[in-house]
Amino acid sequence: MEGRPLDDIALVERAKNGDVNAYEALVQHYQELAFRVAYQVTGNAADAEDAAQEAFVNAYYALGRFRAGAPFKPWLCRIVANEARNRRTSAQRRTVLAERASVAQSSGDSAQSPEAAAEADAFRSTLVATLRTLREDDRLILAYRLFFDLSEAEMAEALNVPRGTVKSRLSRALSRLRAALPADIRMPSAAGDHDG
Amino acid sequence: MADPQRITDVELERGLRDLGPRYPYPPTPNLASRVRGRITVQPVAPSRRLELWRDPRRLALVAAVLLVLLGAAALANPATRDAIAHFFHVRGVIVSREASPLPSFSPVTPLNLGRRTTLADAQSRVKFSIAVPDELGAPEAVYVVSDVPGGEVALAYTPRPGIPLVKQTGLGVLISEFRGDLIPGFITKSLGEGTTAQEVSVEGDPGWWITGEPHMVVVQVDGQDRPETLRMAANTLIWEHAGVTYRIESGLSKADAFRIAAGLP
Repeated sequence: MEGRPLDDIALVERAKNGDVNAYEALVQHYQELAFRVAYQVTGNAADAEDAAQEAFVNAYYALGRFRAGAPFKPWLCRIVANEARNRRTSAQRRTVLAERASVAQSSGDSAQSPEAAAEADAFRSTLVATLRTLREDDRLILAYRLFFDLSEAEMAEALNVPRGTVKSRLSRALSRLRAALPADIRMPSAAGDHDG
Repeated sequence: MADPQRITDVELERGLRDLGPRYPYPPTPNLASRVRGRITVQPVAPSRRLELWRDPRRLALVAAVLLVLLGAAALANPATRDAIAHFFHVRGVIVSREASPLPSFSPVTPLNLGRRTTLADAQSRVKFSIAVPDELGAPEAVYVVSDVPGGEVALAYTPRPGIPLVKQTGLGVLISEFRGDLIPGFITKSLGEGTTAQEVSVEGDPGWWITGEPHMVVVQVDGQDRPETLRMAANTLIWEHAGVTYRIESGLSKADAFRIAAGLP
């Protein structure tokens, strides 16, 4: 992943000149991120897929207005989130969002006892379910920072807000998530022990 | 006072980071090929339209092109036919030499190739047999224009190894086919100083090989320019066979363009 922004700059410049192969390479690299950002907004796979696809097409035609050398990733996130919001409005009229909080099982954590693993899974499931109850902008800012690893500068670009407000928004979103969690929830002993 | 048992923000952040890679997302669909299918033949175009009327120099050049087009209309008159016949080596095409420099267009302007469709549907809408080159195989995209006499079809091929990107089209190869015998002044090619046009024979049929600096193309139907079909074109081989005019636009060499042409029936 080192040097990716440089790759992006070169690919964007080639795509601007009509090189569809270069743009396809960008789509290939960012399709998972785009789909997941869209899914955080829509909570629905079909709408997320539509939104991500539409966002890539729109981004291509907007490349002419994209500042040379600017980072592609947060710019794309912003377009994806906008597309996803447009779809979410209609999707929500059709169905009530129902998140199946079935997180990937931590079977690979061989160091954990079965009890600790079950506890960690239950905690994650609760987090997922609670995230879904948050306002979309809170969920998105948490996901940008903690799931998709955007820097503060990238988040400011993706959310289209001044850089100075990113930290406070993030902190407020975290507080609201904490307040929305069940009162008796406790940090499982194993969760987060493996991160580096 | 905060509940000492209650989860802290720091712990919560840690919990979220731990959740990230395990979040229950549905599988990511493969968007790359679908996106590519939607952008293939509409290269990034600047949103501004050609503002010909604001630039007197461009306006003068457009007027010069229109004069050439009027010349095409005069072909109906036998007395004038001979006078411009040398421009009219291939039916459906007028090649003219411009004395003054050509206007500078953006490298990529919309191609306006018509309605995107399938090869089978295009075939049902044109009055000639569509030829697909053996050398290139099935095109990535097919376009049809039904409102010109006999119809017109465009086959678009994206760049690939051995087939470079053409800036003017955003494509690798663009092939157009139309009934040159039914629409005499359909395409006008205006050449500037840096462009050469060579009379050639393609499998015994009369043609032009136009190369060098990009040249200007105007498409005209019933005496009217088609909107926004004034653009710059790359190396072009154009010829006529049995009433059908074929045009291959690419960044390929003359030999490669001829090889593609030979694979067309």
